[in-house]
Amino acid sequence: MTKRIRSKISRGSGELAILSLLAEQPLYGFEIARQIGERTGGALNFTLASLYPLLYEMEKRGWVEGHWQANPAGRDRRYYRLTTAGRKQLAPLREQWRSFFQALDSLAGVSHA
Amino acid sequence: MPEPIKPDWMRLVRERLAGSRSCHQDVVAELAAHLEEVYEEARACRSSDTEAMRFALDQVDDWQVLAAEIARAKSEEDVMNHRTKALWFPGLVTFLGASMLLAWTQFAGFQPRLIWIGGMGMLFYWPWLAGLPVFGATGAYLSRRAQGPTQARLVAGLFPALIMAVVMCLILPWGLVIDGFSFFRLVHFGLGFMNWVALPGLALFLGTTPFLGKSNLPTA
Repeated sequence: MTKRIRSKISRGSGELAILSLLAEQPLYGFEIARQIGERTGGALNFTLASLYPLLYEMEKRGWVEGHWQANPAGRDRRYYRLTTAGRKQLAPLREQWRSFFQALDSLAGVSHA
Repeated sequence: MPEPIKPDWMRLVRERLAGSRSCHQDVVAELAAHLEEVYEEARACRSSDTEAMRFALDQVDDWQVLAAEIARAKSEEDVMNHRTKALWFPGLVTFLGASMLLAWTQFAGFQPRLIWIGGMGMLFYWPWLAGLPVFGATGAYLSRRAQGPTQARLVAGLFPALIMAVVMCLILPWGLVIDGFSFFRLVHFGLGFMNWVALPGLALFLGTTPFLGKSNLPTA
């Protein structure tokens, strides 16, 4: 798989992962990365370098909105919440990935037993 | 045992992003807070200061690459490009196509059909109206190909009718101011609106409709 294709797939899956998490509740960057790692059993891992360019890109597109919130225990945190546009984006994105995996499964039998 | 000196994450991030377009206060503060939490979590897992520090810094392989990616992510250029590709360009294609078809029908000698409504004549360019769905479809298709949302596809497909609607809405008040109000003028405006906005809009919409549904193009 070329680097370009791999990058596109990981970017697309990252968008879906972030939108799905933020659909549940607003979260800040570190927590987003931590929850994605935990909930995918470590299959998807976001470092600072992979997370923030994606978050800023999604913010620019109007899918998420960030706002600073005071944190009495330490540094202030920038929380991200899903916007209406982001919520609208989530359903078709899920559907596209479902179709993608179904197509891949019918071709290569990659679904788990 | 003395407390270990905490790293100054703000300074560390600022130094590494220095000189790049992504070195905004907000970005520096957010990245610094992230690194600090990674560090604190590693410390909580009984890592030594040095190990925790290394673990935090391992979050970024190349700060210059990160700076460039953040600058690109925050740049408005992509949004403009996307809007141009998904809306303005397809809209312009629809508009030019519809205009050229109208010019061609007139040049080729196709006569408009005159229909009388309440004592007022309306000119219908049937060949033009019949050809408009093709251009509505073209605009909506181009917008969908550029991954434009449904609204952008609709606007791109209906672009000529929307432009005419705007022009007519500007002409009416101006005409009323110059020539004075009259019922005749309003009816004439209504017929003109029907002729140049509503009917062409309907014809364009017919072509646009198949492209308004969700796209099967993968965005992965």
